[in-house]
Amino acid sequence: MSRASGENGILSSPGEQRVVKGEHFGVQVVAVAQRRRRGPRRRNISGLQGRSGLLLVAPYVALLLVVGVIPAGYAIYQSFLARTGSGFGGISGYKDAVTEFQFASSFAHIGLVLIVWLPFMIIGVIGLSLLLHGRRSRLVGGLRFIYYLPGALAGMGNFVLWLFILDPTDSPVKFLLSWLGYSSLEQVAEPAHLPVIIALMLFFQGAGTWILVIYGGLNGIPQDVSEAAIIDGCTPWQETRRIKLPLIRPWIAYFILINIAYASQLFLEPEVLGLATEGAVSPQWTPNQLSYTFAFQLFDVPAAAALSVILLLISLFIGVIITTRTGLFRNVE
Amino acid sequence: MSVPEVLDRPAARERGAPGNGAPRKQLALRIREITPMGFLLLVAAIYLFIMVTFVLATLRTESSLIHQGAFGSMKLSRLGYDWDQLSGFSSGAYWIWLENSAIVSFGGAALAVLVAVPAGYCLAMLRFRGRRVILFLTILTMVMPNTVLVIPLFLEVSAVHQVDKLWPVAVMFGFFPFGTYLSFVHYRTSLPMEMLEAGRIDGASEVGLFGRVAVPIAKQAVALVFFFAFVADWTNYFLPLVMLPSTNAQTVSVGLQLLITTSQLFNPSSGGLNVQLYMPELAMAALLQMLPVLVVFIGAQRYLQRGALLGAVKG
Repeated sequence: MSRASGENGILSSPGEQRVVKGEHFGVQVVAVAQRRRRGPRRRNISGLQGRSGLLLVAPYVALLLVVGVIPAGYAIYQSFLARTGSGFGGISGYKDAVTEFQFASSFAHIGLVLIVWLPFMIIGVIGLSLLLHGRRSRLVGGLRFIYYLPGALAGMGNFVLWLFILDPTDSPVKFLLSWLGYSSLEQVAEPAHLPVIIALMLFFQGAGTWILVIYGGLNGIPQDVSEAAIIDGCTPWQETRRIKLPLIRPWIAYFILINIAYASQLFLEPEVLGLATEGAVSPQWTPNQLSYTFAFQLFDVPAAAALSVILLLISLFIGVIITTRTGLFRNVE
Repeated sequence: MSVPEVLDRPAARERGAPGNGAPRKQLALRIREITPMGFLLLVAAIYLFIMVTFVLATLRTESSLIHQGAFGSMKLSRLGYDWDQLSGFSSGAYWIWLENSAIVSFGGAALAVLVAVPAGYCLAMLRFRGRRVILFLTILTMVMPNTVLVIPLFLEVSAVHQVDKLWPVAVMFGFFPFGTYLSFVHYRTSLPMEMLEAGRIDGASEVGLFGRVAVPIAKQAVALVFFFAFVADWTNYFLPLVMLPSTNAQTVSVGLQLLITTSQLFNPSSGGLNVQLYMPELAMAALLQMLPVLVVFIGAQRYLQRGALLGAVKG
């Protein structure tokens, strides 16, 4: 029992465990958490001492304003300016952005990437985590480490690696690419293949760290629950489907939502693939690329700002769902 | 170890189930036991193949990559050649990029630690007006992709004429809400309120209390915040791309993109390039810039494995 609680959540203590368990067993335990919450609040409402303590949070609040709130507000302000420079432009920035012929297609591309990548990622990560979990072999630690390692190459490094793999000129899997009928990078990286290519790149760099997260979630399942299931005659498959998966559902929801938010922001992979193939991929393939084009090629700042605001609202929406609906942050208050 | 651990093995579990024991069933069990492990090993083998062939590419010539298989002829002396080509590119720009990356990433991660740890402590241990709003905004910004505000931030920075300067990028990296959340959880779960009460009765100020009680136990939070911030900063591409447009102000992840697009491999028209940039050189450029991340990555693995780290892989 205490072993399970040690592995549940980062740096958790018995007090925290009570709150986390509240997610599994419902009302009664949540009440415990609330009582714990109310105690200290009554004891030290600001006062002089409390106010000097605010110095500790002040730098963070300053950064939150300068790097988070103010730029968001400034973008909203800019999005309503006229294209010619100063002066109020109404919704013309939004009109420019939405009526741009690449606008709808850039969002459609994100949808396509999600259709390919999300199932691949979900099945891959959850499948590998479940297979790793409950296996006591010494190999498990090593395997987890191998899956996790490409994360160190994240971003451009990972991209160079995949250029190496996918370019038929010098790929170590030339035979595979030529068997598929490709002899140049332009053929491999044609726009229709992009969702698959991006899915491969993102899976390779991100899956390992997510496996650690989901694996940690599986470790958080109290052992007595698994024991009870086995005594009741559950097969391993039933135990997975009826017990493990429902109990780690908050983690899975979090994982899916954050990956949707991430996909809506794609920039690097299609951008650099377009540059490397000298234009096989449109430089406005994703909304962020379109926003970049508006700002730095067309110098249409209101449209760039308007598109940023639209993307911000999408992320904000997903963020609010994660914060309030997955139940993961319930105990934060 | 104990009973539950034995029960956790599929084999032991099956044996305990009623109606087992026929030889055919035992064979089926064997297969069921071996298949998952085989699958895990297969995936690991693919991962290793990809990484190893990429590392070995730095030891090969471009023509070996083109004409030979995945493990063609290799020579250690190729490393020196690749190194010279890389250094010769645009009179040592690669090293300037590494330096710029080091400045913004170490600066950003250090700032993130200095800002996030006290803030996390404050949110966890003190009650004040606006606390819940700050907490909510922290979690919200933490789960949002960090690319979402890049263009708005650029508009802000260019309004005060600080484009191409490193310090605004370091300051932006210093805002790391996930670090604040980590520190918040750290203090809420490891620091009993009673210890603060005792200090308050002795007449210590809140800042003094933080120094005396919270700093000594901050090690783990500091390590984790630094790790996550550093990796996120070092591998960030979109923010430096936009904020640091001129070649000598770029970070290495943006510089790598320039190497790719000017390489003779992907751009046959760069005949005028003074160095040979083919896949071996590009691979070396990608791997060298990975080393700092790899060091912190391996160092942080045991912290990571302690449990579910929420938001650990925030885009």
